[in-house]
Amino acid sequence: MIELEGIEKTYVAGSVETRVLKDVSVRIETGEFVAIMGASGTGKSTLMNVLGCLDKPTAGHYRLEGTDMVNLDDDALSHLRNHKIGFVFQLFHLLDRATALRNVMLPLIYADQYPEDAKERGEKALATVGLSDRMTYRPNQLSGGQQQRVAIARALITNPAILLADEPTGNLDSTSGAEVMAIFQRLHRDGRTIILVTHDRAVAEHANRVIVLKDGMVAEDQPVAQPRDAEAEARALAEKEAGQ
Amino acid sequence: MRILRIAQEGARALSAHKLRTFFMMAGTIIGIAALTVIMAVGKGTEKKVMKRVNAFGTHAIMITAGGGKGFSPPQEGITTLRLEDAEAIGTQIGGVDVVAPFAVKRGMSIKAGVNQVQTTVMAVAPEWHDAWEWYAADGEPITAEDTAAMSRVCLLGTLTAKDLFGDQNPIGEYIQIGDVRFKVKGILQERGVSPMGDEFDRRLVIPLTTGLRRLFNQDHITNIRVKVKDSGGIESIATEVRQLLHERHHITPPREDDFAIFSAADIAKMARGISGTLTYLLGALAGLSLLVGGIVLMNILLISVGERIKEIGLRRAVGATRRDVFSQFLTESLAVTISGMVLGSVLGWAVSIILARVTQFPVVISWEPFALALGFAMIVGVFFGVQPARRAARLKPVEALR
Repeated sequence: MIELEGIEKTYVAGSVETRVLKDVSVRIETGEFVAIMGASGTGKSTLMNVLGCLDKPTAGHYRLEGTDMVNLDDDALSHLRNHKIGFVFQLFHLLDRATALRNVMLPLIYADQYPEDAKERGEKALATVGLSDRMTYRPNQLSGGQQQRVAIARALITNPAILLADEPTGNLDSTSGAEVMAIFQRLHRDGRTIILVTHDRAVAEHANRVIVLKDGMVAEDQPVAQPRDAEAEARALAEKEAGQ
Repeated sequence: MRILRIAQEGARALSAHKLRTFFMMAGTIIGIAALTVIMAVGKGTEKKVMKRVNAFGTHAIMITAGGGKGFSPPQEGITTLRLEDAEAIGTQIGGVDVVAPFAVKRGMSIKAGVNQVQTTVMAVAPEWHDAWEWYAADGEPITAEDTAAMSRVCLLGTLTAKDLFGDQNPIGEYIQIGDVRFKVKGILQERGVSPMGDEFDRRLVIPLTTGLRRLFNQDHITNIRVKVKDSGGIESIATEVRQLLHERHHITPPREDDFAIFSAADIAKMARGISGTLTYLLGALAGLSLLVGGIVLMNILLISVGERIKEIGLRRAVGATRRDVFSQFLTESLAVTISGMVLGSVLGWAVSIILARVTQFPVVISWEPFALALGFAMIVGVFFGVQPARRAARLKPVEALR
């Protein structure tokens, strides 16, 4: 369970203070698939950084499975990121010179205890995203959609409490984007907690709940009555491509 | 272990960028190679020095007729050193064990049957054996009876014996020096190489009186060898001998000496020769290339931190602590210098071996330079790696990922 309570974030540049987040309070239950929406400059990236324990809020409390990260030091936050949070970035952020499997296994290097079955876990994570046949490929040998799926496998390998995806389809064509969203929906059905940050309502509506930020505050927080079916979309797009 | 996994990450980053890694290594390679050569030449030289000093004798000084700095026998026509000088040294200076006057002539032609050689003939007093601790390995030494009777007898160096008689036993045989016949009465012990690099074993020894009267037709000698009782007092005895000879030869300072005195210390100085200079030059090269190499290493690492900001951000996001990032970059630096050290040592050994082959420079290959090089490599790796590693560790994950 995730609890944000009165989160504020203020950046100071010289004598100019910018309040990016003003009193954000949100509660996300385990197993939810939530989209955080907002135009650029509404503070959604900042909120994403707070949720990912990459940055601390100026005020307020953030409890992740009962632990308030506001009181933790840098080492403890690193530790928390390692075993509680799985990141998926817009630009994938894969290591160019490493194979898909090595990229997926990267977070395990920083685990307290390196698992003996690290390789098997990596292989399993890649199988989850449908890339069992691409394990020894390097990022430049993979398509954008495949690279993002490697990144999802990497986020899954430590079996984190939440999956945080920041514009995961932002750099993909619509077919690959739909395929990536289909993976998130499948993971959600398997019980994962997923938080998706996007500026695109069409993408957001794949989630079951949409939170809209405006001027650093929650402007809207509603369930999605009928989430879009990414798998069906992907199939339709693929057929259309094949038909052309 | 976590640190090993992180070190492995560093090693992977290095092997992924081979050219960059090579440039980072270059300074260490050259520096360590120079260091290895210095040590090899240094040890080789000391070995050569010890060998020469031992061949000369640690308990002896040598007086040579004629001034100058050379150790070689004096030129023809220098008649300044006389038998009376040797007697005076024996009677007037304390701490002296044996005084052995002798006369040397180079390039005399010796015949035995059909074999003929040109070699150095030494006409020696019987004390010569004790003064050099150099005796007959086979047959008889030069005795007081030989000098008293001006006997035409001789001892051969092992190589002279081989040159003249091959594998045949020369004792009892006759040889001819100029037109005088000598009977071979013994073979000298093997002695190796003289301080000036002459073959000690390619010599021929005859009684002093026989040499002076019958062969060289002179009454001066060329050398006096003085063996002292205690090697510690050797320099003070050399000074006393110099004063005594000044008096006897009526020499006062502005005038140059008409003799020269050598001790083991002088021999060592000569044997070291230019290797001291070479050591300083290579030392400067080693120091400079390690310093410049370290600075290059640090700069490339700093550039690499800049290029890899996103990688650092990602590692931080997936759980790397500041210390993990610091460790990885320091490991990369250390891996570069330690690999550079291994390559540098191999290069240094190769150069030393080639140097030994081509220039006859004495070289000894040993493990000590390797240990020293490892120390230097670690110091350079840590010293120049800390700053880039610290910079990488200080990056904020949010900013690095932007």
